[in-house]
Amino acid sequence: MTRALSILVLDDNVDNADALAELLSMDDHVVKVAYNGQDAIDAYSSGKFDLGFFDVMMPGKNGVESFLEIRAQNPDAKIYFMTGYSADDLVKKAIAGGALGVFDKPVDLTTMLDAVERAA
Amino acid sequence: MTTVNKRPATHINEIDAVLQILDVLPTSLFIKDENLKFVFSNQAHCRIIGSPAESLLGLSDADFYPADQVKEFTAADQAVLASHVPHEFMELATATDGSTIYSLTRKLRIMTSDGRIYLVGTNTDLTAMKTKEKELEAKEARYRALAETVPVGIWHLNDKDETIYVNPFLLHLLGMTESEFMSASAGDFLGCGPAIGLAEMLSDKTRFETDLMSNGKVIARALVVSSGWLENAGVAGRSVMITFVDVTKIADLQNVNDQVTRLNAELSQNIQKLKETQEEMVRAGRMAQLGQLTATVAHELRNPLATVRTSAFVLDRKVRGKGLGVEQQLLRIDKGVVRCDTIISQLLDFTRTKAAQCKLIEFDSWLAKIVEEEAAKLPSSVVIECTLGLGELNVAIDPDRFSRCVINIVNNASEAMVGKGDVPQDQKCAAPKITISTSRTPRGIEVSVADNGPGISEENLKKIREPLFTTKAYGTGLGIPAVEKILEQHNGGLEVSSTTGEGACFTAWFPIKQSLEEAA
Repeated sequence: MTRALSILVLDDNVDNADALAELLSMDDHVVKVAYNGQDAIDAYSSGKFDLGFFDVMMPGKNGVESFLEIRAQNPDAKIYFMTGYSADDLVKKAIAGGALGVFDKPVDLTTMLDAVERAA
Repeated sequence: MTTVNKRPATHINEIDAVLQILDVLPTSLFIKDENLKFVFSNQAHCRIIGSPAESLLGLSDADFYPADQVKEFTAADQAVLASHVPHEFMELATATDGSTIYSLTRKLRIMTSDGRIYLVGTNTDLTAMKTKEKELEAKEARYRALAETVPVGIWHLNDKDETIYVNPFLLHLLGMTESEFMSASAGDFLGCGPAIGLAEMLSDKTRFETDLMSNGKVIARALVVSSGWLENAGVAGRSVMITFVDVTKIADLQNVNDQVTRLNAELSQNIQKLKETQEEMVRAGRMAQLGQLTATVAHELRNPLATVRTSAFVLDRKVRGKGLGVEQQLLRIDKGVVRCDTIISQLLDFTRTKAAQCKLIEFDSWLAKIVEEEAAKLPSSVVIECTLGLGELNVAIDPDRFSRCVINIVNNASEAMVGKGDVPQDQKCAAPKITISTSRTPRGIEVSVADNGPGISEENLKKIREPLFTTKAYGTGLGIPAVEKILEQHNGGLEVSSTTGEGACFTAWFPIKQSLEEAA
């Protein structure tokens, strides 16, 4: 590992978010968790993140809407999406809006950690 | 009274003989003196006048005939007596019994040697001929009336192509006056060029349909019937009678009938299509509902699956190298996650109804990458060989869906040969090998995935496309139907062939669409 990153995990599924945060923390990254879109936007407003892993579907502001708002303020925000349904039109919108990529749930974690490694 | 019956004694024998001959002649003969009194009447004349000779002699026409006839006869007699040449008259004579005859009467003034003047007359009875003539006239009048009024064109022409008669209906049909018809070339309205030899042409008893033309335009459709050569048809030499029946409306009716028949057939086809479309809509509606449900369930299941996988992954990292002996359990957890995810993917593929989202892809290199990724997940004993023959050809496909198609077929091939690779009794092949090839054929692109496994029995080949049919202990039976569905969404299909004991070959094909517009 080259350097510790500041990572935001956004998922309304608490177990998912926490499990992923725990995994990323094991590699000494500083991981913050948001369980809804607005919390993620607020987190980006008040702090700086090297990387983000956002779920797509969630109540209130979904992951893509939150992402687009964050990108409006932070055009360099690097965010991956995670989705349980890869053909989702929202995912296409996210990619068009500058998302780095999409991981299908259940995420292949080796591939995800490779992506983190590349960002570090 | 002077009569020739009181003849001079010197010629008595000759005169008697002559009078006896005249008396029995079939031709009516009478002799009048210069006062127009009968002095002789033979038997034939007596029959006409209706009185015996004895009661007729010394009397005149006024004693037998109606006044108007007497006036006519007397005028004729006087004209004859005044001249020296024979006269012929057509006379109508009414006998005393009321019978009437038409008579051709010849009258001659003669003078005897003693200077007496006589009028000799003969009658030829033309009553029968006149009656026949009247009948013929009546018949001709009837025929003419018929020809003038019948709704059939009639044209009578002689063997020199000269018109003898044309009836009003034919003129009406052609929109011509009689003089226009006479000056026109018949070939023009029959649309057969110059009319030379037309009568000859039509002299066979023919019957045909033709268009009637006027100024180069079709004005009617006619059934033409020729009488063939007629001899003595009221003209010198041969002639031909041609009739024209206007069949325009019949032709129109036939056209309408044809159209109605065609429309009925189309309607029948459309009703069938509508029925099929309705059934398809109902099926599609159900499938869309099922697709929506599956998508929701997929999303809801994949989240906990993700939690399980991540937690197992974290656990693995935490216990690795600590000798707890839980590696196998963690591996099984991950395999269970993979299996659940595969089931969800197949359900999604099978129930997805949205149109394919096509992109232009360099097919062979894209396929090689998919196969390489998938090969890494297969048991290590399985060898994959690719023979890709499309070069740098770009085609429009939905890469997400098509990759599911390829993965499904390749996984099936692998599982048929070695199962999941972890159970020895599932090893049904000593040197498991999958050969993937691409080629361009007249119907488009073909992707063949062949294995050298045990093959598929004939019975199973028939069922392989049925949803929920499976020979695996853990299969959903949706893999092949999902593949077919994805290929249908690319306007293609799937072919399966197999020889038991030698392996199976799955060929996916789809038409080449080299632009997104084409694929839309």
